[in-house]
Amino acid sequence: MQDVQTKPNGPVAAVFVAAGIGSTVMGLLVVLAEISKDISNFLKFDANFGIGSGVGPLSGKALLATIAFFGSWIVLHYVNRGKEVDFNKWLTAALVLVLVGFGLTFPPIFEAIAGIFKSEG
Amino acid sequence: MELTNREFWAVIHGLVLGTLFLLAFAGGLAGLWSLRERYLTAEGLQERSPRLLIGTWVMAIVAWLTVLTGTFIVYPWYRATPPEGVDLKDPAALVDFPRLYLLASDSTAEWHKFGMEWKEHVAWLAPILATAVAFTVSYYGMQLARRGEIRRALLVFFTLAFVAAGVAGLFGAFITKAAPVA
Repeated sequence: MQDVQTKPNGPVAAVFVAAGIGSTVMGLLVVLAEISKDISNFLKFDANFGIGSGVGPLSGKALLATIAFFGSWIVLHYVNRGKEVDFNKWLTAALVLVLVGFGLTFPPIFEAIAGIFKSEG
Repeated sequence: MELTNREFWAVIHGLVLGTLFLLAFAGGLAGLWSLRERYLTAEGLQERSPRLLIGTWVMAIVAWLTVLTGTFIVYPWYRATPPEGVDLKDPAALVDFPRLYLLASDSTAEWHKFGMEWKEHVAWLAPILATAVAFTVSYYGMQLARRGEIRRALLVFFTLAFVAAGVAGLFGAFITKAAPVA
């Protein structure tokens, strides 16, 4: 229930979930680059699009994760503006997404996942 | 007494911005923790609010500057490759190529395979999480003292941002010790 003396929590829920989306996108790109040489090469935004020099696939991972964060923030902010939402649900979703991001950037985890896909391929 | 260009940027990335981040985190955490109506008078809230706002935005901006300088200035020096003909199994020939230097020896390879692989990716979560915190502090301002559930969520996000930056900073220091970019 909204405290009548404070602003609605929708925009805050939106930025928390957007941060989770940005984190998860970074984690997913780490795994995908490890699985596929083609994806790894595509993520070389320094060589492909002139964004930086000598950075390699990290240039694409960083830029796409940043775009995912700001892009989803704009969309979710628009959806939630002026609304009081069930904050616990949004926060739980945000935390799960952030923890997925943390997990997928941890080398033993992303290497294990990549290993499974590589052995199947 | 002088710094090379590489040393200068390594210091800016790891020491100057890293120290600012730690200071902003400590101040922000203390500010968020104690931002409760029952602890503060109206005057106390008014006095504390701008400091918390500045602290969280400094942390977010510093986190962005740290990952940008690290990724686009320092990291390319770390992953530079030598010209044709250099023996990639001879560490002595690879001192100017930190990544390959670390990979050339079994005793140092994990600094890259585990340390750098984790650091370079997890670091990017810090500015994202810190920006969410700074926006929320801006949005609610003093009202945050009346929204306990959001203040608690901020503490969690703030701490996760610090953990991400901490992992990156810690491995950055160790890796720089093992194979400096300068």
